[in-house]
Amino acid sequence: MSASIEITNVSKNYGTLTVLDDISLSIKPGEFVVFLGPSGCGKSTLLRMIAGLEDVTAGTISVGDQRVDTLPPGKRGVAMVFQSYALYPHMTVAQNMSFGLENIKVSKEEIQRRVHLAAETLEIAHLLDRKPQKLSGGQRQRVAIGRAIVKEPKAFLFDEPLSNLDAALRGRTRLELAQLHARLRSTMVFVTHDQVEAMTLADRIVVMHNRKIEQIGTPITIYRRPATRFVAGFVGSPAMNFIPVQNISQNGNGVAIDASGLGILNAELHLPTAFSPEGAALGIRAEDISVLPAGQSGIPLIVEVVERLGDRTLIYGRLSDGTKLTAEADGRAQVNAGDRLEIALDISAIHLFGADGVAHHAVGG
Amino acid sequence: MSRDTTYRPEASRASRPLLWIATLLAIVTMAPVAWLVGLSIKDNRELMLGTESVFRVPYTLINYINILYSSQAFGWFFNSMVVAIGQTLGVLVLSSLAGYAFARLEFPFRRTIFVIVLFGLAVPEQAVIIARHQMFNWFGLHNTHIGLILPGLSSAFGVFLMTQFFKAIPRDIDEAALLDNASQLRIFWKIMLPLTLPAQATLGIFTFLHAWNDYWWPLISATRKEMFTITIGIASSQQNFAQSEGLGFLSAQAVFASLPVLIVYMIFQRHIVTAVSGGAVK
Ligand SMILES: Nc1ncnc2c1ncn2[C@@H]1O[C@H](COP(=O)(O)OP(=O)(O)OP(=O)(O)O)[C@@H](O)[C@H]1O
Ligand SMILES: [Mg+2]
Repeated sequence: MSASIEITNVSKNYGTLTVLDDISLSIKPGEFVVFLGPSGCGKSTLLRMIAGLEDVTAGTISVGDQRVDTLPPGKRGVAMVFQSYALYPHMTVAQNMSFGLENIKVSKEEIQRRVHLAAETLEIAHLLDRKPQKLSGGQRQRVAIGRAIVKEPKAFLFDEPLSNLDAALRGRTRLELAQLHARLRSTMVFVTHDQVEAMTLADRIVVMHNRKIEQIGTPITIYRRPATRFVAGFVGSPAMNFIPVQNISQNGNGVAIDASGLGILNAELHLPTAFSPEGAALGIRAEDISVLPAGQSGIPLIVEVVERLGDRTLIYGRLSDGTKLTAEADGRAQVNAGDRLEIALDISAIHLFGADGVAHHAVGG
Repeated sequence: MSRDTTYRPEASRASRPLLWIATLLAIVTMAPVAWLVGLSIKDNRELMLGTESVFRVPYTLINYINILYSSQAFGWFFNSMVVAIGQTLGVLVLSSLAGYAFARLEFPFRRTIFVIVLFGLAVPEQAVIIARHQMFNWFGLHNTHIGLILPGLSSAFGVFLMTQFFKAIPRDIDEAALLDNASQLRIFWKIMLPLTLPAQATLGIFTFLHAWNDYWWPLISATRKEMFTITIGIASSQQNFAQSEGLGFLSAQAVFASLPVLIVYMIFQRHIVTAVSGGAVK
């Protein structure tokens, strides 16, 4: 039932504006793939091209072993859940769910069976006779998912389906979507700009930026070994620290990095010989920076702002030469603005980004 | 959608003077109507002695019974029905199709054509009536139902209203239907059209009322007495007052003529309110 999706050299132009440029991506049957990226990067456009709601300017798209980019949306065997849910306002929940099946002449009994099964699964059986106006946001959302499920599609497409829900409901629905995927084992493509959704739901994340795919990888790969400076900065909260690099010298087994305010750091990290320190930056996440106990000396940091999140404390400060740096301490840390701390970096967790944005990771990070 | 009942008492206190003004206006508007109804249920001979007899018994339904037997009002009423219903249905069908096309379909010169349609709103009937009269003459359409219906079918207002209404329906809905494997025709018929019902009701009522009360074109086009619409018919009997069947009878005809309007209003009142209050698509 679930099918692969093959996107080959796909581009999209609106007039002279190029929105997507030569995108290739293959999604395995049953895989949960998340398109993640900042607003306007073309996530929805790519999803809508799979659905058939937008033409491709160049390239091909296949679902299963069938080329679909020339087929109308209804013939592609995919179902889509819209951000606005797009339920038919004048139809009841049951009619909303049956409409697509009636159009392909599924028998009445079969429609009944599928609608009731889906309604049970989604716990909306008691709402079948209601119209969408009389449903809460969360219930509408379920109906929209139900409308997709009954079609037993080869792939599900979701365009930010959770963004209209409040935080608590969003968390719960996220979990339920994960369960749904585990049960149906269908191919799912999910668009979001929420990295928590991406990290928790995805088998693989496709990070998009500037008309291109920036990186494709498992959530942990994306987080731990970001391919580019953009990915490193986009994924993770608080955002990764980027510290300008003054000089780099390569020695036998690694590099000595002279970074603003940090002094010279020796890291085990392999760089191409042509690597130039010009415009390079050292990257490290706040969680890989620790505050040393009083009395020990490390790298000095002047604290400017402290954010207490309960389970952890974020410390925004400046290094001795004024470079900004965010560090993390545990929830009970006694830190105040104006304090002078000594910090240490986990040298195995650093990344080096060349002027071209390409990342090089410390060994073992 | 649902009416807020909690704020009503407060509103009524604040708007008491307004209420008085509204009542006064209602009386001013209703008085002639009440007068007409009064005249219609009085005996013609009694009225000839003086119309103040309206305020006295006896009352009678004889004038209404006379309409059934002894006048052409029935034929005129029928003509008006044919014209008003024909125009209403025609306008609804044409405006819906055109509105959907302007709102959703891609075709060359769409915007230009839409602007041309909007120009129709600005052209008064008087400006084109001679040319139209001549044209209908050539085609032999005067004194026919078709001839009375046709000019009212090109409703720039209807096309404009329906276009705006279709545009207000979110695109996602069509797209969901496309993914649901619905054909263009089925999307129009099963999804879009039902969503415009409030607009259809409004447009339908306005078109019906306009057609029913129309005076100018029927006056010009229908010259044979049996092709008169009820408005022309009543007007013609009033002009021949000397030979007319009396004031009470005339009034009964007028009341009779306004019945359909009243009925249409009562049936569709709810839709008018919905459409005007704008809670149409949500
Ligand atoms: N019909 C259109 N005509 C011209 N440009 C368009 C059209 N649709 C989208 N775009 C442009 O294409 C780009 C990508 O849009 P898209 O909706 O795919 O972004 P997105 O990644 O989904 O963003 P968001 O997270 O805000 O939904 C945007 O710059 C947008 O302005
Ligand atoms: Mg989008």
